[in-house]
Amino acid sequence: MELRRASSTTFDGLPVHGGTEVVPLLRAGLLRADTLVDIRGVVPRDISPGRIGAGATLAQLECDPGIPDVLREACRLAASPQLRNMGSLAGNLLQSTRCWYWRLNWPCRLHGGDECFAREGEHREHAIFANDYCASAHPSDVAAALLALDARLRTTAREFPLAELYGLPTEGDRRTTTLEPGEVILEVTFDECDQSVYLKAMERKRWAFPLVGVAAVRRGGETRVALAGVAPVPWLLSGELDSATPLPRNAYKVDVARALVKRARATIGA
Amino acid sequence: MQLTVNGHQYEVHGEVGTTLAEALREELSLTGTKIACGEGHCGACTVLVDDEPVLSCITLVHAVDGARVTTIEGLRDHPMIDAFVRSDALQCGFCTPGQIVSAVALVESEPAPTTEQIRHAMAGNLCRCGAYPKIEEAIRTWQG
Amino acid sequence: MARLIRTEKEVEGRYEEVWLVVEEDSLDQWPAGPREVVGRDAVRVDGRERATGQAVYTADLAKPGMLHTAVLRSPHPRARVASIDLAPALAMPGVHAAIGPGDIEQLTSDCSFQGEAVAAVCADTLAHARTALRAIVCDFDVLEPLLDPDEAVRQGSLLGAARERSRGDYERGLAEADVVVEAEFRTQVVLHNSMETHQAVVEWIADGVEVHISTQYIWGIRDAVAQGLALPPDKVRIVCHYMGGGFGSKNGPDDYTFIAAELAKRTNRPVKCALTRREENTAAGNRNATIQRLTVGARSDGTLTALGGEFVNAVGWDGWSSGTEGPMQMLYACPNVKTTTYGAKLNLPPMKAFRAPGFVEGTFGLEALLDELATKLDLDPLELRRRNHTDATPDGSEYSGKNLLECYRRAEPHWERRHEVRARSTKTVKRGVGMASQIWYGGGGPPSYAWIRVGSDGRATVVTAMQDIGTGTKTAMAQIAAEELGIPLEHVTVTLGDSDRGPYAAISAGSSTTPSMGPAVRAAAADARRQIEDIAEQRGLKGAPVHEVVDVLEDSQILGKGARGPNPTGMQVLTFGVQVAEVAVDIETGEVWVERIAAVHDVGRVINPLGASSQIEGGIIQGIGHTLSEERLHDPATGRLLTTTLDAYKLPTIADVPEIVSELIDEPDAHLTNLGSKGLGEPPIIPTAAAIANAIRDATGADVRRLPISREEMLRALHEAEARQKEKVGAPAGV
Repeated sequence: MELRRASSTTFDGLPVHGGTEVVPLLRAGLLRADTLVDIRGVVPRDISPGRIGAGATLAQLECDPGIPDVLREACRLAASPQLRNMGSLAGNLLQSTRCWYWRLNWPCRLHGGDECFAREGEHREHAIFANDYCASAHPSDVAAALLALDARLRTTAREFPLAELYGLPTEGDRRTTTLEPGEVILEVTFDECDQSVYLKAMERKRWAFPLVGVAAVRRGGETRVALAGVAPVPWLLSGELDSATPLPRNAYKVDVARALVKRARATIGA
Repeated sequence: MQLTVNGHQYEVHGEVGTTLAEALREELSLTGTKIACGEGHCGACTVLVDDEPVLSCITLVHAVDGARVTTIEGLRDHPMIDAFVRSDALQCGFCTPGQIVSAVALVESEPAPTTEQIRHAMAGNLCRCGAYPKIEEAIRTWQG
Repeated sequence: MARLIRTEKEVEGRYEEVWLVVEEDSLDQWPAGPREVVGRDAVRVDGRERATGQAVYTADLAKPGMLHTAVLRSPHPRARVASIDLAPALAMPGVHAAIGPGDIEQLTSDCSFQGEAVAAVCADTLAHARTALRAIVCDFDVLEPLLDPDEAVRQGSLLGAARERSRGDYERGLAEADVVVEAEFRTQVVLHNSMETHQAVVEWIADGVEVHISTQYIWGIRDAVAQGLALPPDKVRIVCHYMGGGFGSKNGPDDYTFIAAELAKRTNRPVKCALTRREENTAAGNRNATIQRLTVGARSDGTLTALGGEFVNAVGWDGWSSGTEGPMQMLYACPNVKTTTYGAKLNLPPMKAFRAPGFVEGTFGLEALLDELATKLDLDPLELRRRNHTDATPDGSEYSGKNLLECYRRAEPHWERRHEVRARSTKTVKRGVGMASQIWYGGGGPPSYAWIRVGSDGRATVVTAMQDIGTGTKTAMAQIAAEELGIPLEHVTVTLGDSDRGPYAAISAGSSTTPSMGPAVRAAAADARRQIEDIAEQRGLKGAPVHEVVDVLEDSQILGKGARGPNPTGMQVLTFGVQVAEVAVDIETGEVWVERIAAVHDVGRVINPLGASSQIEGGIIQGIGHTLSEERLHDPATGRLLTTTLDAYKLPTIADVPEIVSELIDEPDAHLTNLGSKGLGEPPIIPTAAAIANAIRDATGADVRRLPISREEMLRALHEAEARQKEKVGAPAGV
């Protein structure tokens, strides 16, 4: 393996920024690469109103008063202090599921296999929406916050709504993101909002991935609510939680989500 | 490659893929930095890179070329050491160097942290012995 | 004169008869209360080494030429190795040797649990060893595993015979009851997760072997290694100066020590074999799951008439069926008690002792059951426990010392807070207070020895081949020696951790280190003190400080030796306590906060109150993890483990810690040794889960009966309580 420093945003190899996801996955054999490209020098990390360089760390964001509450709180409650110092905004959006079957390299659908082991097996931390093909849950607090903010991404190739970064895995395409090889996220933009909030349920008070994360943003009379930890991708809530399709051991997540959505809406005056 | 640790320059020869923790422990014999999980979950390997606490067990050593690394060996004279000993903020001691590195970073930016700030800043350093109440006390009283 | 006696020895609740050489221990106990050094706060004598990273743990040891090991472990709970080829691994860069099934007893082709060792490779670096391990070609025939504990009991797949314990007439006791409560409790598999994983460095030197190992029992390792390698025990040297946590899991040499020994022999190099975190959480032991089907019968005034239980310990493939029924048998005065305990042998990794094995689980069941009874009888839970307190052991023998009623008395102010705590409830966040009692062993026992030397500088060195596993026993031993010699604590050094450099010392398990070692250290110091007094007399310095007396000795030294005397005969040596927990429950999201725990324990004389409070806090925090967030899961179909990493297996963080108030009775046990001290390692973890569960019931009316109390379990219990309430309200009048 070799490590190169990117001198521009065009390169061959596996991009690595904070490394908090790539390095453990490489060492666990879930990712392979001959060439790693350190992109920290070429991805912006500055923050201005409504615009964040994709290389900004979560630690930068959690204490920046110019950031909407929903995003700041999502960063504050994400991961551990050290991981927030290391991990970038874009890296957080691109992180893989915490599904234990996937992390332990079971030949599941996300790994190209033909079975979702979680559906029949241990799925208490898994998806309650869109879980019929793959029950993995997307763990990004930050993605839910940005989805609720209706953020847009600019990459080296295009500019598009954050929602289009993600796609549910299908028989023909097992990926959960639409990023093409070599495409690098450069910045995230969003419009101002009136009020916003992020509420997170986890199995300990800090340093845990969301069982359910609820991001809510209000602009005038319009409210957007997005959830983390409830579907294979960050989940924009349309309608109510009655449409959830929980598995036998994770129906409790519907109760938790319902309570947190109600509270989030109340908090932002929606 | 060159590695700057505790103000000293070292030549490191590890292959790409070697982590900072491995380089510190195996090449430089700086074994104060512990590896307890090796995958970024527990905080025992915490060191400062340019004054920020990071997890050296998932930091590639080649990625800190040009940065300043501070390990527990570089903090031996810091009052936080005495604060931990005085408060009995350690039991088996295996997580302690990582705890102290995180604690030092906290008080360098916030000399009189609140309980909430301490708990927020220290949540990435697991201690199986459960020295947490005394760790909190050590950080609250570190200035003696 | 040395005397040989036959005596009973207890470790972790298991008794065995042993031969013992004792020397007379004629010292009177010190009066109760703080002394000059003993009974006063002392900072850890080795705190600085540990804090600065200068302490060298086994994990930090790098001997010249040392090789590193990677171990191939069965990924399947039950499988046979159909074929294995080590040759590709041997051809990899840096590899020095590879061993496989049959090369040593610890490597097998017939795997009965996930994590059982099959093969091992050693290489120049750990990275090389791991890469080479992946080159081993190994095919498994996967077999159907036995995973269900009840099914194992039905099939008779048991470790040992079922344990039946009975007193009185259980059926009659039930018939006499005004109220009977039955409930099933389940506890999960919990992982020790010592921060330093299990590991050893083994080197053959001359005709013996030197083993550096992270262990709780230097002398047990010495014997086991000697036996395993067919060496005389004195040809085996065991070294452990610092170790990074054990909690009961590091009492034996396990597979890795013998793997390292074999590879060291084959390569003629020192070899390190260290478990990864994932191996640690697979193959290094666990607190086994339990199923407890319990019944209590009582009169309407709360007097217990019958206690009964069927306990299934899901032991795994190996280990022992711990005393989960112990609290039910021992805690209360109930005349009619009947328990049956099964140890289910399963294709799951073997259990190991984990901080009060059995009693943590059994106390959760029993003490939660008692609160369900208290609710039914509309009795104050603390009063219910007082009414069933017993002054004599249920089998009629005496306690060497028991201050449980005093624990209850001191818990009262904490218990009284419940009205104010409940009043702080809101529409969605309910608050409550719960309590639970604790009973456990902790008397330690012989043999244990210490030597001491005092030089002309007036400084003393205690020499004993014990280990300090992080509990602070090194500090406690220094305090005891300083107290007895009458010198400052700073003038005492304790050297330990090396079987070649000191006499036999007890295991650090079963809350036994201080009560086993402390009396030996005091006896050694007293032996030296008496010699110093003789010299003082001869020099006309009677009553002068030690350093003045020994000042003329130059290179002469005073040498003292001491031994641990036997435990009192015909008495049970036990520890007691009570904890009171305050919780808040978000009834919509199932979130539980433990806000405060007050702990009052009775462990005899306290040597170091500062270190003791740390032990209590640590026990409670592990108990909170056990109660709320920790669980080793396996896939229900295949039995393969799912939560072996520390993101998925959730240890408490600093943010999960409540306010902890600890108090110790500090009354020396008049019948126990020259110190009257018992152990404190285990008692604080025992009542925590039940106290929290009972506080949850107090807050919400929900009966949580399964650990961990995850949001899933909390919401389930809340829904059940709600349904029960509706049923009650909706029931037709007169029914």
